[in-house]
Amino acid sequence: MAPPKGGYAPDLDKFLDTLKSRPVDASVEFLISLLKRRQIRGSESCAIATAHILLQVVAKDKWSDVDQLIGRVQLVGRKLVTAQPHELVIGNIVKRVLGLIRDEASEDRNDTGSDSPTDRTPTLPPAIEPIPLSKQTRLPSLVALGSFARTQSMFNLLSDPDFVPSPGSTPKLGSGASTPQGYPQSTNIHALRSEVIDGIEEIMDEIRQVDEQVQAYAEIVIHPGDYVLVHQPSRTVQKFLLRAASKRKFTVFLVVDPSAASTEDDPYSSLRKSLSSSGSTVVNIMNVGLMAYMSKVNKVILGARAITKKGGVIVDSGAAVIARAAREQGRTVIVLGGVYKLSPDSRFHHEGLVEWGDPSKYVNFADGEMVGQVRVRNAIAEFIPTDLVNTYITNL
Amino acid sequence: VSKGPVPVVPAEPKFTIPECFSHLSMAKRIPITQADKDVHPTVLALGQQMATFTIDESITRLKATLLAFKKVINSYTTPPGNTLARHLTPHVLNPQIDYLTACRPMCFSMGNAIRWLKLQVSKIDPDVPEAEAKKQLCSSIDTFIQERISMADLVITEKTSEKIQNHDVILTFGRSTLVEQVLLQAYTIAQRKFTVIVLDDPYERKGQTLAKNLTAAGLRVSYCGDFGGLRYYLQSVTKVIVAAESMFNNGSMYARSGTCDLAIAAKQLDLPVIVLCETVNITERVSTDSLTYNEIDPERSSSASFRLLYDTTPDKYLSLIISELGTVQPTSVPDLLRKLEESN
Repeated sequence: MAPPKGGYAPDLDKFLDTLKSRPVDASVEFLISLLKRRQIRGSESCAIATAHILLQVVAKDKWSDVDQLIGRVQLVGRKLVTAQPHELVIGNIVKRVLGLIRDEASEDRNDTGSDSPTDRTPTLPPAIEPIPLSKQTRLPSLVALGSFARTQSMFNLLSDPDFVPSPGSTPKLGSGASTPQGYPQSTNIHALRSEVIDGIEEIMDEIRQVDEQVQAYAEIVIHPGDYVLVHQPSRTVQKFLLRAASKRKFTVFLVVDPSAASTEDDPYSSLRKSLSSSGSTVVNIMNVGLMAYMSKVNKVILGARAITKKGGVIVDSGAAVIARAAREQGRTVIVLGGVYKLSPDSRFHHEGLVEWGDPSKYVNFADGEMVGQVRVRNAIAEFIPTDLVNTYITNL
Repeated sequence: VSKGPVPVVPAEPKFTIPECFSHLSMAKRIPITQADKDVHPTVLALGQQMATFTIDESITRLKATLLAFKKVINSYTTPPGNTLARHLTPHVLNPQIDYLTACRPMCFSMGNAIRWLKLQVSKIDPDVPEAEAKKQLCSSIDTFIQERISMADLVITEKTSEKIQNHDVILTFGRSTLVEQVLLQAYTIAQRKFTVIVLDDPYERKGQTLAKNLTAAGLRVSYCGDFGGLRYYLQSVTKVIVAAESMFNNGSMYARSGTCDLAIAAKQLDLPVIVLCETVNITERVSTDSLTYNEIDPERSSSASFRLLYDTTPDKYLSLIISELGTVQPTSVPDLLRKLEESN
C-alpha cells in the first residue's frame, strides 16, 4: 500500500503526479489501492487513470514480443477490474488497449504498418445516433478482421478481446512467456511500442473531448422554455446545459444529493450562476420521489456511469426512480455518456443490481438503536433498464 | 381586525417561489403578536405547532384542532342581543380558522371537520340556553373524535393487521402512526411472523423513529435512507402499506411526496399497494396531478432550493383502500363518500 503523500488523501491528480517517478509495479499497486478505497471514483477519473497506468506498462515494462505485452496488460487490467468491479470503464479501457495492441501487431504482420491510421478520431455524425444495439453480437476478433479493424469503432469495443480464435494466442494470467507464438516476433519492438503509446494517448484525448463533443447536441435537445430535470449532474451534463443556455432560456430542475443538501453551500452554485446569467433558471429540488414534478418536466437528462451491452445504464443512485417516473408520465429520458463508457459487460443485466456504499450516509454510527438492531443499506449506483431510456447521446 | 400598533414584519416569504409553483401554498410562522386578537390562546399555540410541523399528520392535526375548538366554545359567552347559532361561527370560529390556515394550509380532514362543526352550530335551537348549547356542541365534538378518529383507527388497524401473513415482507414509507400501529398489532397481538423494510425520505428521516419503535417491539427491520436501489428492495417485498394524507374522489391518493414513485415501482412488480385512510380524510375534490393541490416545504425551500411535501398517486397504481367503512378498490372511493352521507 502506497502511503498518502503530503498528509492528505491522494486522488487522481496525485496519482498522475507520482506516475513518472515510480516503478510501474508500484504505480499499479497504488492505483489498485486508490480504486479500492474509492479515492479515484467516477467513470471519467477511472478511465483516465487506467489509460495512464497502461501507458506506463507499455512504455516502461520490458517486453520482447506482442504476447508478452498482451499478457502483461491483461494481468494489470484484471487486477484493476477486480479492485473496482463496479467501474465498468476500467475494463473498457483495458479492452481497448488490448485491441489496440492486437491491431497494431496484426498490421505489423500484414506488413501494412506503413499506412498509419489517419482517420482515428471520428468526426461527429450529423444527427444523434442511438447506439447500434443490433450490432452487438460477438464479432470476429481483431485478428480476423485484419488491418481494417479500428480500435476506436464501436464494433471492436463491443467485441470480446479475450475471444481469440485458435490457434491464436491466449495468454493466461502472468504466463505471457510460455504461450505459443500467435503473432510473429516483431522486428521492430520500438515501432510497435510507440504506435501503441500513440494509440493510448489518442484514447486519453478522446476521453477528454467527450464533454465537448456531447455538448454539440445540446441545442438540438433542449428547446426554449423547456423544463429540464437533471439528477446530480456530472460535468458532462453541466456542460451540456451550459451550451444550451448560451442559445436559449429554459428552466432546470436540479435534483441534489440529499446528504449534501443539508449543508449550506450549494455544490452547483457556479452552474447556477452561469445559467442564470444567460437567463435560464435553476431550481434545486429537495425531493427523492420526483413523480410530483413530472407533469411539468419536458425531459430528463441523466449522466451515465456506464452503459451495458444491451443499453442498460448504470447511474448514480436515485436516478432510476426518476427514469421510471419519466417513463410513466411519457417524458423523454436522455442519457449522456462518452463511447468509452459503453461496456460489453453483461453481468449487469440483472435488473436492480446495485452498488452498495457507506450506510452512515443517513444513519449516524452513534445511533446505537439503529446501528445495533436495524439493517441499514445505502445504494450508490443503480441500474436503469433499456426500456426506460429514450435516447443515448455519445461522442461518436 | 387588529387594533393598536402592530410591528411591521414583512409578510413576504424570504425567497421567491419559482413561477411555475407560485399557485401552491406554504406554511409560515406568524409571530403571535400579529395574530388577530380574537384568537384563543390554545389555538395560538396550536398554530405555532402546525407552522413548525411539530404536529404534522393529517389526523393528528384534525384531533388537535377539534380539541382546541372545544376549549374555544367552552370559554365563549354570547354577547347580549345575539344568538349562539348566528354569532359563534362568524365572530369566534372564523378568526381561529383563519389564523390556523395562515399558519399552515388546512389539510382536507380539517376542512371536512370544520364544515361539519359549522353545520352543528347552525343547527342549534336559539331557544336552548347557552350552557346547554355549549355542552351539546362539545359532546358532539367528542363523538366525532371518537367515531371518526379513534374508532376509525382501531378498525383500520384491526383489518389491516389481519391482512399480514406469516413470512410477509412489508415495505412502508416514512413514518405514519397508523401504519406503525398496524405493524405492531400484527406482530404482538396477531402473532404474525414477518419482516419490515422502512423506506425513508432523507430530508425528513421520520422512518428512523419507526424503525426504532418496531425493533424495540422485536420486529426485524431493514432501513433504506433514500430511493436508491428501490427496485432491488421491492424484489423481496410481498406487500406495500402506506398511509394516505387524503383520498380524492377520483381514487387518487394524496400522500407524502415519494409515495407515488414507490407505488409505481411496486405496481410494476405486481405488488399489492395497500392504502390506509380514515374516511374523514376523503375529499370530494378531484386531482389528477401533483401540482393541483400541494404544499411547499418552508423548512427546506430557499432562494436556491425547493421542496414539495406531497404528491398525488393515480388510482391505477393502488390496490386497496382500507377505511373504517370498508375495504374498497381505489375507484370505489366515491362509494365510501356516499356511505358517509347516508349514515349522517
